[in-house]
Amino acid sequence: MKSILIEIGELSYFAGRFFREVGKRPFEYKEFLRQCYNMGNRSLLLVGITGFIIGLVFTLQSRPTLQEFGAVSWMPSMVGISIIREIGPIITALICAGRIGSGIGAELGSMRVTEQIDAMEVSGTNPFKYLVVTRILATTLMLPILVVLSDAIALYGSYLVENLKGDVSFQLYFNEVFGSLEFGDIIPSTVKSFFFGFAIGVVGCFKGYTCGKGTEGVGRAANAAVVYTSMVLFILDFLAVLVSDIFYDL
Amino acid sequence: MKTHDKTAGEKLKLGIFVIAGLVLFIIGVYLIGNQQSMFGSTIRLYASFQNINGLKTGNNVRFSGLNIGTVKSISMLNDSIIVVGMAIDQKSSHHIHTGATAAISTDGLVGNMIINIIAGKNGGTAIAEGDTLLSFRKLSTDEMLSTLNVTNENAAMLTADLLKITRAINAGEGPFSTLIKDKAAAEDISLTLRNIHQTSAAALRIMQHTDQLILSLNDKNGLAGLAKDSLTANHIRSVAVNLDKTSAHLNEVVADLQSTINEIRHGKGTLNYLVNDTTLAIKVDTTMGKLDLTLDQLHQAGIKLNENLEALKHNFLFRGYFKKLEKEKAKK
Repeated sequence: MKSILIEIGELSYFAGRFFREVGKRPFEYKEFLRQCYNMGNRSLLLVGITGFIIGLVFTLQSRPTLQEFGAVSWMPSMVGISIIREIGPIITALICAGRIGSGIGAELGSMRVTEQIDAMEVSGTNPFKYLVVTRILATTLMLPILVVLSDAIALYGSYLVENLKGDVSFQLYFNEVFGSLEFGDIIPSTVKSFFFGFAIGVVGCFKGYTCGKGTEGVGRAANAAVVYTSMVLFILDFLAVLVSDIFYDL
Repeated sequence: MKTHDKTAGEKLKLGIFVIAGLVLFIIGVYLIGNQQSMFGSTIRLYASFQNINGLKTGNNVRFSGLNIGTVKSISMLNDSIIVVGMAIDQKSSHHIHTGATAAISTDGLVGNMIINIIAGKNGGTAIAEGDTLLSFRKLSTDEMLSTLNVTNENAAMLTADLLKITRAINAGEGPFSTLIKDKAAAEDISLTLRNIHQTSAAALRIMQHTDQLILSLNDKNGLAGLAKDSLTANHIRSVAVNLDKTSAHLNEVVADLQSTINEIRHGKGTLNYLVNDTTLAIKVDTTMGKLDLTLDQLHQAGIKLNENLEALKHNFLFRGYFKKLEKEKAKK
């Protein structure tokens, strides 16, 4: 219990250091853009395929139940609200936690193990600013974009199933989707995506940056980054629902 | 050089990625905002309700089935009046008139709550910013279910009664059972139906004859044709005039007779005395009685005279005379 509390304290200190460093010069634009490309563009295929399959499967699974009630026309509304509000952000964040979080943990961990971070400090470069701030900023900004793209692809997948099984046009389907959505759906989900991205970056960087000695520590750091990030994501999601419930009457 | 190209390519791809994400997000926000009438110019309307049945801000407002706005505010004026503010698309607002009414209902059977604006029958002027629409309360689902419950109970009672009647009929009780089971009754009904059929056939024939009669009346050579002929009409008219004159004369004669009778009744002449004096009537009656008596006496005297004459015939003095008369009668 004590170790968990110590871990949480160290993580909070690590996050606080990020906020202190983020406003200080020099800004590592090139590294930031490189990380954005790695985390955003290179995750798009995986996120896109996952979103598309989720749209297909979700519609295929829900359709028979809705058919029993004669409510197939509610499918776009149901899928739209489910994906935009919850499934899109959380699934995308979990995939990014697996791909990006573990990648950051492993990369920074190996740099720590091979003393590259120490070498950067010796050479006068701020490794926290160069390695951590850029990665956390990149995950924070890229994840919402990945969520938006993933939502769009998932809705398109759902539309394909509806079009094949039923007889609904593209325009009608998306009119139904956006007709059922409100700002209370899209704004909280977008805002929490920033927090999810931040959590992935912070936990991944923390685990890699504070990696133990040896190759075993690198593997443990990568694994812990994924596990802790996933847990933090669910906690954040719960808090996001509570907060949005206060601001928007859901 | 290769590293520089790779970096430029990555930047381009990253730019496309970011722009695509932002464009999709903006499209989503625009579509949702458009559904909620956030980007067009709107006017604010109000309606008061006693019960808003869970209506929330953001629910749609419909006019003739078309989404024209959203609910923007809900405020409780007092314990029985809730004022609902609606943002209505300005283009659509021109079609709504002051006689229109607002009602809260559901979108489908289990859908979201919506406000339906129903056009007024008497027209009126177009609504303006800040106007308050009339409102009416629709039956809620609970009330409908309550009514259905009563209907179901009535249906159950009716079914039970119907079952009793059916059983009684099957058991052979009552006139309906006889009607259904008795062959004689069935034959009677059949006979009645045949009679009705015959009656209707006869009625049809009568109608046809009547029709022909009416047609013949319209015929030129018929009675109506004669009436239509101008010469005949003149004759009839002159006959009518003569009849009219005769009638006038008759009226005069009747009037004269009436005056004569009046004079007889009320005048002082002989006739009045004869008709109206009761003592005269008594005297006449007495005289008639005496006359009657006298006539009786004369009749008796006549009988006696006949007897005397018969006696004379047998007298030797007159016997010759009577024989002589008989011989002359025989010769003739």
